[in-house]
Amino acid sequence: ANVKAQGLNSRINVSVGNENLSSVIKKLESKSNLIFAYDEAYLGLKDIYVKPASFTDEPLDMVLSNVLKYSGIGFKEEAGNILLFKQGSGKITGRVTDETGAPLPGASVKIAGTGTGVVTNNDGGYVLNVPEGTYTVEVTFVGYSKSETKDVKVVANKIATINVSLTGGSLLKEVTVSYGKQRAKEITGSIAELNASSLKDMPVIQFAQQLEGKVAGVSVVQSSGQPGRGIDFRIRGAASFFTDNQPLFVIDGMPITGSINNINPDEIESFSILKDASATALYGSRASNGVILITTRHAKPGAGATVEFNANYGVQVLPGNKVPKVMNGEQFAEFMRERAQDGLLYEKNYSIAADYKAAYLDRDPASYGEGTNWYKLLTRAAPIQNYDVAIQSATEKSSSTAIVSYSDQQGVLINTGTRLFSARINKDVTAVDGKLKVGFNLAPSYRLDHNNRLTTDGVGGLFERIFEASPLIAPFNPDGTYQRNVSSPGMVAYINPLAQFNLTNDDYKTTRILGNGYINYEVVKDLLLKVNVGVDKGGETRNYYQSGIVSSTVNNPTGTSSSVDNGSYTAEGYINYKKTFHHDHNLEILGGYSAQKYSSTSNTLTGLGFPNDDIPYLTAATSVTGNSSYTAYSLLSVIGRINYNYKGKYLLQGAFRNDGSSRFGANSRYGNFPSVSAGWVVSDEKFMERFKDVDLFKIRASYGVTGNNFFSSNYVAQSTTSNYYYDYNNTITQGTTLSNLGNANLQWERSLQLDLGFDLSLLKNRISLTYDYYHKISDHLIQARPLPTSSGFSTVYDNVGKLAFWGHEITINTVNINNRDFKWNSSFNISFDRNIIKSLVSPGYIRRNNTVSSDYFRQQVGHHLGEFYGFIYEGLYKNAADLASSAKYQATATSPNGSSDIGTIKVKDINGDGVIDDVNDRTFIGDPTPTFTGGFTNHFTYKRFDLNIHTSFSVGGQILNAAKWAYQTNMDGSRVPLAAALDHWRSIDDPGSGIYPRTKTGTTAIGREVNSQWLENGSYFAIKNISLGYTLPFKNNFAFKSLRVYGSVQQAFVFTGYSGMNPEISLSGQDPTQGIGVDENGYPVPRTFSIGVSASLK
Amino acid sequence: CKKSFIDLAPKSSYSDQNYYQTDAQFGQATTAAYAGLRDVVTTDYLFSEMRSDNTIYQSFLSNRGTAYTDREKLSDFMDPSTDSYTATEWQDLYLVISRANIVISRLKTASGIPDASVKSYDGQCKFLRALMYFKLVRLFGGVPLFLNEVRTPEDAFLPRSSADDVYKQIIADATDAMTELPVPTKFPQTGAATKGAATVLLADVYVTQKRWAEAETLLNSLSTMGYSLNANYSDAFLPANKNNKESLFEVQFLDGTTTGSTPNPLCFHFLPRSKNTSLITTLAIDNTTTGGWNTPTQDLISNYEAGDKRLDASIGVAEGVYDGSNYFTYSAVKSIVGYTTPPSGKTAVPYCKKYEHTPAAITGSADDFPIYRYSEALLLLAEAQNEQGKSPLTALNTVRARAGLAPVTSADQTTLRNTILHERRVELAFENKRWHDLTRTGNALTVMNAFGVKLKTQISYISADSYIVTNDKLLFPLPQAEVGLNTQLTQNPGY
Repeated sequence: ANVKAQGLNSRINVSVGNENLSSVIKKLESKSNLIFAYDEAYLGLKDIYVKPASFTDEPLDMVLSNVLKYSGIGFKEEAGNILLFKQGSGKITGRVTDETGAPLPGASVKIAGTGTGVVTNNDGGYVLNVPEGTYTVEVTFVGYSKSETKDVKVVANKIATINVSLTGGSLLKEVTVSYGKQRAKEITGSIAELNASSLKDMPVIQFAQQLEGKVAGVSVVQSSGQPGRGIDFRIRGAASFFTDNQPLFVIDGMPITGSINNINPDEIESFSILKDASATALYGSRASNGVILITTRHAKPGAGATVEFNANYGVQVLPGNKVPKVMNGEQFAEFMRERAQDGLLYEKNYSIAADYKAAYLDRDPASYGEGTNWYKLLTRAAPIQNYDVAIQSATEKSSSTAIVSYSDQQGVLINTGTRLFSARINKDVTAVDGKLKVGFNLAPSYRLDHNNRLTTDGVGGLFERIFEASPLIAPFNPDGTYQRNVSSPGMVAYINPLAQFNLTNDDYKTTRILGNGYINYEVVKDLLLKVNVGVDKGGETRNYYQSGIVSSTVNNPTGTSSSVDNGSYTAEGYINYKKTFHHDHNLEILGGYSAQKYSSTSNTLTGLGFPNDDIPYLTAATSVTGNSSYTAYSLLSVIGRINYNYKGKYLLQGAFRNDGSSRFGANSRYGNFPSVSAGWVVSDEKFMERFKDVDLFKIRASYGVTGNNFFSSNYVAQSTTSNYYYDYNNTITQGTTLSNLGNANLQWERSLQLDLGFDLSLLKNRISLTYDYYHKISDHLIQARPLPTSSGFSTVYDNVGKLAFWGHEITINTVNINNRDFKWNSSFNISFDRNIIKSLVSPGYIRRNNTVSSDYFRQQVGHHLGEFYGFIYEGLYKNAADLASSAKYQATATSPNGSSDIGTIKVKDINGDGVIDDVNDRTFIGDPTPTFTGGFTNHFTYKRFDLNIHTSFSVGGQILNAAKWAYQTNMDGSRVPLAAALDHWRSIDDPGSGIYPRTKTGTTAIGREVNSQWLENGSYFAIKNISLGYTLPFKNNFAFKSLRVYGSVQQAFVFTGYSGMNPEISLSGQDPTQGIGVDENGYPVPRTFSIGVSASLK
Repeated sequence: CKKSFIDLAPKSSYSDQNYYQTDAQFGQATTAAYAGLRDVVTTDYLFSEMRSDNTIYQSFLSNRGTAYTDREKLSDFMDPSTDSYTATEWQDLYLVISRANIVISRLKTASGIPDASVKSYDGQCKFLRALMYFKLVRLFGGVPLFLNEVRTPEDAFLPRSSADDVYKQIIADATDAMTELPVPTKFPQTGAATKGAATVLLADVYVTQKRWAEAETLLNSLSTMGYSLNANYSDAFLPANKNNKESLFEVQFLDGTTTGSTPNPLCFHFLPRSKNTSLITTLAIDNTTTGGWNTPTQDLISNYEAGDKRLDASIGVAEGVYDGSNYFTYSAVKSIVGYTTPPSGKTAVPYCKKYEHTPAAITGSADDFPIYRYSEALLLLAEAQNEQGKSPLTALNTVRARAGLAPVTSADQTTLRNTILHERRVELAFENKRWHDLTRTGNALTVMNAFGVKLKTQISYISADSYIVTNDKLLFPLPQAEVGLNTQLTQNPGY
């Protein structure tokens, strides 16, 4: 061989097999005829194996580079010899951040072509120890585009710094979707994702409160201030008359069957809100109200161990400016005096009872002074507090999260409150080379509701009682005991509301365990088998006792002890196949099976005949009666979905679910719920390249069918029996017969929904815009359809009609300023939602009820949902001429003025027959549907300060203020009216404000019948939350990694022309069976001032 | 999973798929039909007594809620078709019919039920159905005639049948019931419907239709079934004396708080509304929201002849003071016999005593409510005889004698007709007969208009527009909700 100085350039032919370096080097020595100088033991050549390879006419240095690659052994030519030596190692370090510079913990940093890699820590930092050499550093993170940094030179004992900023987060980020995750860019349905970390500063017990005004087309309103209660959701309008309009809640993949009140907001990491049919279709029969997927906090693989602590303390205060201003003592006495004076003046045979005369005519009203202010006595500033500790730890293969929380919210009405203890453990483990993933979530909670579910809201509710009690009566007798009766002469009997609140004890204790476990196994490459099993277990006991001092029948203390045990399980198995063909064709197929069953057993014992209030348990009752019952439903489903995309640019999805439900008639138990959707990422097209500022432009379309089976009763399709006792000659005998009419043909309520939308991101994602148009037909609407009572039944559950909904939703997120020290982000959403009733069973309308005084609305073909129905108000009859020329209420031939007179309420004679009557002269008078609703959030950070202002608004809907007009302007003297009503009609020359009629006996009833005077504009702009935070600088603190303190005001300001206490109100939320926008004395929503601290510990 | 996974039937109740299989279940279904009678009698006084000249209501001007005004309007002849109590009465009557129909329909296809049981349940349910339709046809005229179980939503919509057809069905049902039901085997009876109950019902229907001879035959048969008058008038109403030999049919109540006992709340409804009624009820009852109804009129009180023992047994007087909220504070309870005027500063309010026996619990008393008593059968017999030109004196004077009154001796048919009507008024006061007696005898317009004129001079709170009684007012309106829902229904004229 030709030995030359450039020995490394000599070309050789050699093959190496599965052998160690010692043998390889010896082969090379012999092939190349060169001297290799090395210390075999020191270099450990026998322990390093190489991969089989063969080299033909290759230069020696290339061969050596290959066989020594990653061995940590270098080579060089020195004096004709080939010297092998141990390479020195260096380090690559750096930080991985997103586009905004925020650290990305958990990102994976790898040296290309090697097994070497780490995961970034909490600050996005990483350190890699590598032998000298030149490398390519790859950084990947779920939801971001992969970054490759080439030609990174590593020199022994030196540090190479490679900082990487990943891009495309918002486009490539994975979003939780039904049965899995999907890249945001490839989603074809209408899905909104919300990160819970931005909601943390709102001190609430219900997560729902945090979502108010955050997502276009999702209306969340707080209709009652009852602690921990009173929140209603609507996604894209109310889809139904009777069935529940709440969306389906799915926590970590498990659809939950119980209340969402026990879910602690602290446990939540993110929400995905699925709005259109293609997004929700896999939830089939439960999806037509939309689906909210909740992901709880799971530690990120490789993020290390963290401990976080959050504490928050706040005070809730009722805003004073909207409290109904009812008459005080002097005013009420004056009012009652005037009633009697007017009665004597205008009515013959008017008589005044002795006690009435003594109270109002013989005594100077001024002597009563202010009197008792019941509102002050019954309301308070109430504390709210939340504490939670979260411990997370994660390696690459295992992640654990434990969260323990305590929340306590006292009510602004005295002696009410709720407390919640909750914990959650989430554990995920990866094994078998990443092929197997198993995990479980377990979330026990315990909740105590104290007087929190008493009927405070609505007609006859305790909140109304506060305004009915007479200001002329003191709450206590001289001996310190409660005064039971707090009505003054002339008033209807009222029980002391202070005593009612204090002498009623109604405690609910609720235990709830949510748990699920899963196994994901990669059976063969690309094919994943997933099994999920979840349980939602609940138990609740109630202990109720009401003292005989305040019981509706005096001295009749009542006690109740009841318990409910309920639970559901869900078992799901499905396979997921995901493969890319020919590089550009991406296919994913999902198929599976799901079974769910819910059951509940409950019992109630009621005790009567307590000798006194000493022992508020049924042991002290002399008579106890009770019953128990059981109910269940089940759901059996098959699901399937195909996603296909070409180059991530042309997107197609088809999904299907078949549900069988125990709730429907034997003839119509199964339902099919298909959907299709498509998307086109226009911005990926060549012709878009010239629009440099467009980062993403995607258009989407979807159409699908979903169902609704949410109603509380599980057996409405079947006729069922009840017991009716009869006492044959004093022998108690149980009778049993059908009590409700079943309907074997009852079928799914379904929604057929079209969605067209686009997503647009501009200027490096500093502006992103999402727009959706939807059109939804809901048919086979289920309703407790009124039947002629001559049938023996008053209702039957039936498919009664069809509704159409349509609307536009716009969301704009912007990064307005993004300097080093000052950042400003905004998020704005608005939605325009419309609906119309397309058809209804005969007679084409459904009334709220059969009275004139609370038949607030009517569902009628051709009208919007819940349009208000009543008389049209035309003021008061001004004088004799006005009375003579106007139609009068209930006029007859013998009584031409009916119950009308000068100074009473005049309404429009709609049928023009000259007489006002209840049947023919009422009509549609208003519409509760807002023109548009939305929210606007601004987030500022300046150095270490952050400021968040969240607002929501609703414009155009009307509110029927029944609380005010049906009750607080009652001129009968039977209850305390608004102070303004003191300025009522007394004579033609003294007509008062013209708003409040005269008190003449027999003429006041029409004032309590729904008329257009009750309607008010329900528009509002609410500053829901303002929070200001400061993050303390810690460099090398012994305990803290970071510490943030903040203060916030929730329900800070509500700007509205509405005169009631809460423009978001309606008695049963937005439940259209109860009435949208009907204000019937809801528990007011307080303003909350709070301070908090969140700390991350070392 | 199997299909049965989603095949769930209720477990804490029966469904129509697994009920109505056994003898006992048909018995329970029949019992459930009886249970509906209680609701009927706790509303019917508004229609059958307060609508008449027998009773009125107490003033409650401090509260004009519809729960009060809707009841007052019925008494005042000012009720619109939207009156909520009209709807309640209608629904209560039809509920019993519906439960009876379920039994009658299902017995036709049931197997394995002994013949004796089939006859018994069918007879009882047909009696109840006839009794309810008889009330309906007299209050509303021709009504929808439901004769089969309603099984689908479509079945629930029927048009009105003619009054004649309704009467034909009542007669057919009552005749079947008479055939199928046994006579009482002992007294006190069980309280279930008997041949005697069906007989008097059918006789009452014939009297209403002026089929006097058929009525007479039926009524004569009753004495052979063991019925007779109690020694004292008031015995018939004692809770201790239920279902006695004078009782042809009564609605059963039981006081107390045991599961299944249903107390009679009328003892509170018929007293002046007060925060404490203990002077009359012994137990301290607050009836401020429930009381004030069915107050005896001066017209009724003065209709009792001197010495009529029935006056003291039927009516009492509460003395006290009404306050500015129209609540009554009782100061004394007095006998109506010889009562003239209250002491100075007090108000006297007469009240119905028949159902006023001390309750065991605040939920109501054990007073049964009579539907047919033997004394009524005697008066119906007297009427049937008189109208045929026969002497009614034996039957009539049997009733008078018990009341401590001298026998009537007149032989004049017209005089006797009036005497019998008067006798019915005082004998059957507060038993929901008076309004029907006035309408079927053609006296309603005259009597009620005259009564109204007089009443307005006596009672200040009675509206000037009240008691304008026209022919249209002889029938009540069909409930507006019913007419609104079922487009096949036509409203009665004048509403």
